[in-house]
Amino acid sequence: MSGVAMAYYLVIFAAGFAGSFHCVGMCGGFACALGASMAGERPTIVKHLLYNSGRVTTYVFLGGLAGTLGAGLSAAHAAHGQALLASDYVLSLAQRLLSVIAGLLMLVMALQLLGYLGSRHAVVGGFGAAGLTTALGRLVRAQGAAAPLALGVANGFLPCPLVYAFTLQAAVAGTPLSGMLTMLAFGLGTFPAMLLMGGIGRLFAPAWRRYSVRAAAGFIVLIGVITLARALLPVSSMHVHLP
Amino acid sequence: MMAASATFCHHCGLPLGLRPSQRRLGGTHRSFCCYGCILAFQVRHGSFEETQETHALIRLGVGAFFAMNIMLLSLLLYSGALDFEWDQLQQLVHIALWLLATPAVAILGGPFVQEAWQEARRGLAGSASLVVLGVGGAYGYSMLAVMSGGDVYFDTAAAVLVLFTLGRYIEAAGRARAARDLAPMLEADSLWVTRVEGSVEVRRPIADIVPGDAIRVAAGERIAVDGLILAGSACVDEAVISGESRPVAKQGGDRVIAGSIDLDGTLLVQCEAAGSATQWGRICQGVRHALATAMPLSGAADRLAAGFVPVVLAIAGAAVLFSPQDLPLDAALLRGLAVLVVACPCALGLAAPLATALGIARLARQGCLVRDGRAIERLASVRTMVFDKTGTLTKGTPRFVAMNAGASLPDCVLRRAAGLERHADHALASAIAAAASARRLMAETMIDAHVVPGCGVVGTATGDVSAIGSSEWLTTLGFAVDPVIDAKARSFASDGYTIAHVGWAGRVRGVLAFGDQLRPEARRVIAALRRLGLRTLVLSGDQPEATRRIAEAVTADGWEAKASPEDKAELIASWRRNHGCIAVVGDGLNDGLALAEADVGIAVGTATDLARETASLVLPAAGLELLPRVIELARAVRRRIIGNLLWAFSYNFIAIALAAGGWLRPVMAAALMAGSSVIVMINSLRLERSSNTREARSERL
Repeated sequence: MSGVAMAYYLVIFAAGFAGSFHCVGMCGGFACALGASMAGERPTIVKHLLYNSGRVTTYVFLGGLAGTLGAGLSAAHAAHGQALLASDYVLSLAQRLLSVIAGLLMLVMALQLLGYLGSRHAVVGGFGAAGLTTALGRLVRAQGAAAPLALGVANGFLPCPLVYAFTLQAAVAGTPLSGMLTMLAFGLGTFPAMLLMGGIGRLFAPAWRRYSVRAAAGFIVLIGVITLARALLPVSSMHVHLP
Repeated sequence: MMAASATFCHHCGLPLGLRPSQRRLGGTHRSFCCYGCILAFQVRHGSFEETQETHALIRLGVGAFFAMNIMLLSLLLYSGALDFEWDQLQQLVHIALWLLATPAVAILGGPFVQEAWQEARRGLAGSASLVVLGVGGAYGYSMLAVMSGGDVYFDTAAAVLVLFTLGRYIEAAGRARAARDLAPMLEADSLWVTRVEGSVEVRRPIADIVPGDAIRVAAGERIAVDGLILAGSACVDEAVISGESRPVAKQGGDRVIAGSIDLDGTLLVQCEAAGSATQWGRICQGVRHALATAMPLSGAADRLAAGFVPVVLAIAGAAVLFSPQDLPLDAALLRGLAVLVVACPCALGLAAPLATALGIARLARQGCLVRDGRAIERLASVRTMVFDKTGTLTKGTPRFVAMNAGASLPDCVLRRAAGLERHADHALASAIAAAASARRLMAETMIDAHVVPGCGVVGTATGDVSAIGSSEWLTTLGFAVDPVIDAKARSFASDGYTIAHVGWAGRVRGVLAFGDQLRPEARRVIAALRRLGLRTLVLSGDQPEATRRIAEAVTADGWEAKASPEDKAELIASWRRNHGCIAVVGDGLNDGLALAEADVGIAVGTATDLARETASLVLPAAGLELLPRVIELARAVRRRIIGNLLWAFSYNFIAIALAAGGWLRPVMAAALMAGSSVIVMINSLRLERSSNTREARSERL
């Protein structure tokens, strides 16, 4: 893995870490509800590890899908254009278009995180949301060793501007693998805070969280701007090859 | 504007920002920073019980965990991210996939194997069998491939199972939603009661209660046992069991029925029967049974799949056997596998339950309870709708219609009647009071007025003995009968009106007629049903004239009167033979048989519980208005289901042909199949959206 790629994933990880204080507000309730196990410390840790693994697996899955979709879009566009134009030009055009869209959407998400935009919940509303709510509600209260894992998996699908933003980033990443790694870096970034949540069982001070959510929004703006720049600036050296 | 405290998200506590999302949840307005927090808030503050459904959900979640990992690894394989310069690496990845797939297949496949086994024992092969065959084939083949080298299809197996399990879960969730709305009818086995043990009182589940136990019932509580009152007195609402809507006064030595509600006093009851031994318990079991009945067209899909499975197997076999001679066995087997996978009627399994569950959920949100999943399907094909008259088309409460005062002043007669009836409390009394106040008449002041049970009211006004009641009773009081009034009374009675005679100073002075009041929406509803192409009939146990009058008022297509409950059931049966699918709308005890006999029994809001028990659809109070919309919704559901089934079948047909010809790899086949499911799902969800907009439009109107 090149140094540039490493730095890229580190930025994503940092954004995930800062952003996880947003998660603590929204999803931390689930971690709290899971609470401590009666059986002692070790089962408690296992329970929360299971929950968080489920959550991160869903993120990585979404990242893989987004990466595949992004790669497919670029490739399809390239295959279509190849007969007419020089292939490398068209390929980069398709990727550039995708990057512009993703970059702009990430800026929108960042604004939303900062509270400057209303959330667009009509997109995910309806039966799916109602079903997800019911499912999460049942799983939070369910007994059984495997329930936290299932809760984590379902939790991962809960609509969240952070997850949206990084899934978009995964789509631009270019390959399924880089898409997965993007979301893995993000997911691991959210790991510490969420794991801690289960342990200490209460929310961090809102002021504290407010600052870190701003930091997360800052990271997303940064990544969004880089994504846009990669698409708009005609500098080929800017093109980072992600594994 | 919102209060200052509302500048933070109600769920996560972060600032709301400039454009918060606002929702009315739990009766108060709340503000949230994002949609996710709205959902999370609902999850944290909702009430959810742990059921079998929860176990299915855990199964689905854990299975999805493994399946997602499998798909991630497989994605890497296909995208070439793991390039195998080292052959053993590929072997390792395959083994990892195998290790992940085994628990996924075991966890998610278990219920399908069970179901397929049950089907097989009855000599059937349904969609579960195809799933088992397809998944088993993909898994078995991949296992061999892991050992001997070649491509693996664990991702196909896992994806198929996840999609199918999701379909089953959605179906179960739809039924559970109906169950929640029926909660009062389901709690017979789950109530807790206060048992008196010597000087202490303990809360025990009803299952622990045995005959002979002493139970303390507080005001407002539901009485959970059949028993004898040892001490205390209270008014009791027995509507759940007897259909008697008036509170019944009970005291020491009286019997109470399980399911009734203690309205105002504390009772000490000696238990004679508890839980499932009571009538209430039996009703609850009946409701549970209805909820467990399989959804209708998914049954049809299974029947179709039953014929489908042997055909698919034959095609798969043929694809392997008759593949070109130069094709290696490996590739030939792949063709067979592709056929099995692509034939898995995923979309077929989802087509009916999803649309039906959405329909049931939509109806539940309007207060209509679907007690039997099949009702929606049958409702869509109903051509004739039969209405019970009293209490369904009419309000069931009498209204003053007409009077004849002979030689006296009508207002005088009405004032006397109102003065007398002030001392009574039956339904006619309020009708007379309403008529008097509508004419701005003061009720005559009565001295020493009292009710003579079963006869009427007698009292004294302006020195004259006055009475209201039946003609016979007035005669026994010594009142002279006026032939004009008597003739008019006879004509009122033959018209189906309820009558009351009024007399004072030794003569019968007038006769009052009361009719049942038509519900204001009845006419509109029947007209709307006619526009939907339905024949409407009125069926009543009442007098022919009264029935005819109501039938004409609502412009029904026909009527039948003086029918006993047994007659009604017979009539429905004969109409079914002549007119096809019939729905009966009723409310009372005397049409329980008719409701049961009909293809779809519909009980209206105020319905007694026996009616509810035999009806497959229960409308809320004043729910008559909803009928046309219910029919439209049922038809929309059927259209969606048929559309889904057509799509799924033609899709399967083409895909099988492609797979048998070798133009489709198993993975592509699985992807196509998943796509088919998504299309079916979107098509079904349109149902929710379209009826939403229609509702919004009608609300605006």
